[in-house]
Amino acid sequence: MKDRRSERSERIAGVVIVVAGLAAGAEAMTFDVFFMVDPIGPKALPLLAAAIFVLAGTILALRPQHGVIWPERRILLRMAGSVAAFLAYAGALAPLGFFTATTAVVGTLSTLFGARPRYAFGAAAALATAMWFGFVYGLGLPLPIGDLWTR
Amino acid sequence: MDALSHLMGGFAVALQPINLGLAFVGVLVGTFVGMLPGIGPINAIAILIPITFAAGIPPESALILLSGIYYGSQYGNSISTILLNVPGTASAVVTALDGHEMTKQGRGGPALATAAIASFFGGTISIFGLVLFAPLLAQWAVRFGPAEYFALMIFAFSALSSLAGDSLLRGLASTALGLLLATVGLDPNSAIPRYTFGQLKLLDGMDFVVVTIGLFAVSEVLQLLERTGAGSAALQGYGRVMISAREFAHMFWTMLRGSVLGFFVGVLPGAGGTIASFLAYSTEQRIVDREGTFGTGDIRGVAAPEAANNAAATGAMIPLLTLGVPGSGTTAVLLGALLGLGITPGPLLITEEPDLFWGLAASMYVGNVFLLLLNLPLVGVFVRALRLPQWFLIPGVAALSFVAVYAVNQSGFDLVLMTAFGVLGYLMRKLRFPLAPVILGLVLGPLMEKNLRRAMALSGGEWAVLFDSPVAITLWIMAIASLTIPPILARRGARGSATR
Repeated sequence: MKDRRSERSERIAGVVIVVAGLAAGAEAMTFDVFFMVDPIGPKALPLLAAAIFVLAGTILALRPQHGVIWPERRILLRMAGSVAAFLAYAGALAPLGFFTATTAVVGTLSTLFGARPRYAFGAAAALATAMWFGFVYGLGLPLPIGDLWTR
Repeated sequence: MDALSHLMGGFAVALQPINLGLAFVGVLVGTFVGMLPGIGPINAIAILIPITFAAGIPPESALILLSGIYYGSQYGNSISTILLNVPGTASAVVTALDGHEMTKQGRGGPALATAAIASFFGGTISIFGLVLFAPLLAQWAVRFGPAEYFALMIFAFSALSSLAGDSLLRGLASTALGLLLATVGLDPNSAIPRYTFGQLKLLDGMDFVVVTIGLFAVSEVLQLLERTGAGSAALQGYGRVMISAREFAHMFWTMLRGSVLGFFVGVLPGAGGTIASFLAYSTEQRIVDREGTFGTGDIRGVAAPEAANNAAATGAMIPLLTLGVPGSGTTAVLLGALLGLGITPGPLLITEEPDLFWGLAASMYVGNVFLLLLNLPLVGVFVRALRLPQWFLIPGVAALSFVAVYAVNQSGFDLVLMTAFGVLGYLMRKLRFPLAPVILGLVLGPLMEKNLRRAMALSGGEWAVLFDSPVAITLWIMAIASLTIPPILARRGARGSATR
């Protein structure tokens, strides 16, 4: 049987970490101030962190340890769907309001977890309503009503 | 005795109706999140932080609530471990060895009772340790200057880096990520923007609640999506949740040793409940397991790790409260909460905020009593929650995460940031990078940088100041030891098991 563990993923991650470390380090070199009272300035900590990145990434790229088993395509698509739903929520919250956006996104997420749409969206609407009352009236936390409905 | 009268004052705070109620809510939520795989105390505390801020709860009450979640989760994690062999958190993994074995033999009830009683034992004994040792440590730490603090934080980082995951390299990389994230925003000393990429919203820096919820909660959702459809284990009958007086006597010394050991392991940074429970189990195996019954459903095999991981949770509060330096992911989140409430923990906390410290200590006694009641007669209610379908539970947690992140700044940008950190957290989990060091780096990074710069400013740029005092040198040696000893032990352990 072919081993599905991908050592290449670890090597790629190592290279990405090295590149990120170099970029962070290069950016840190521009943090220049000359205060007598602050001899090491704002670049010391970022440079230290960047150096650890470069070191750790190099070792990881050269000597992968475990390999990674990635999920199959069908599951990856489901995960991409949920990330899209999260991002859509960020954009939809202000225009559509808490109730509509939450029902749509939580319902979608429940469907991705295998619920029948009828149950998924029903439960999501109930949850959104309960949360609205709990947060807005119970804790005084302002949640958006939705620009679309208040115009 | 001085501590006793302070503790009485603490009870006056803890027994106020609001604090009693919040302690109860805290340990109840803690039991749930400890039990249900995929939520965990870090998520729950991070989600509740902005909500407690928004509700305007006073600092000591907020801390009572959030700490209740922390130590309550140590009770809850044994329930799913014993009944389903699915540990809620890593610190309950050892409990499965004998606990789930007992369930398979139809003795799940006694196993649950043992876990609850041992947790209570560990939880309450370690509070004695807290009220005894915290003031002593604080008195000693009053003399710490910036160089000592810097060394102490290096020790905390190196200990967590080497112990949190399965490789030092990955632990260090995670810590470095946290430190880099900590530098995002305006530098407080020079007002230079760092890593803001022209984004005005990043000038204030990364809010640790947004990062924590993204890294932990959102990535957990993605990971659960990956595993969904694997089918859930069937719940077996577990019988009466009770043990006999003889059984109690049988495990008494095991619980006592586990509690003391767990407490001291908990005080050390990086170690925490997971290592405490492993150590307690293997110690008991050596001391009392003459017939070789450990692993076959011995109640002492449940009592030892459960006493230890609860004691460790309390022990871990000591460096957090008296030094302001947490040693784990969960206590780092608690530090973030304290800083957000305008309280800087450190050696002066006990004298300057007596209500907060002694009130918390007293409320932990109260909370442990609540937990014993919840976990003995009412355990059936929790067990029923294990039957909640994943499609309902996980999206519900996601919705709470959204509200918490939104409550931080009322901004959709934070939700995008949260999602990005969720994807990053998922990739880190797949590549086996530990997540807790990121949070420690993010929360502790600014304090570490401040102390380093202060030390260097005082010495006029002379690096030797960092190694100038016996305390600092000791801490540096401990940091180096924590980086070098675990890999050596691991290598020797691997060789030992290979030859066996």
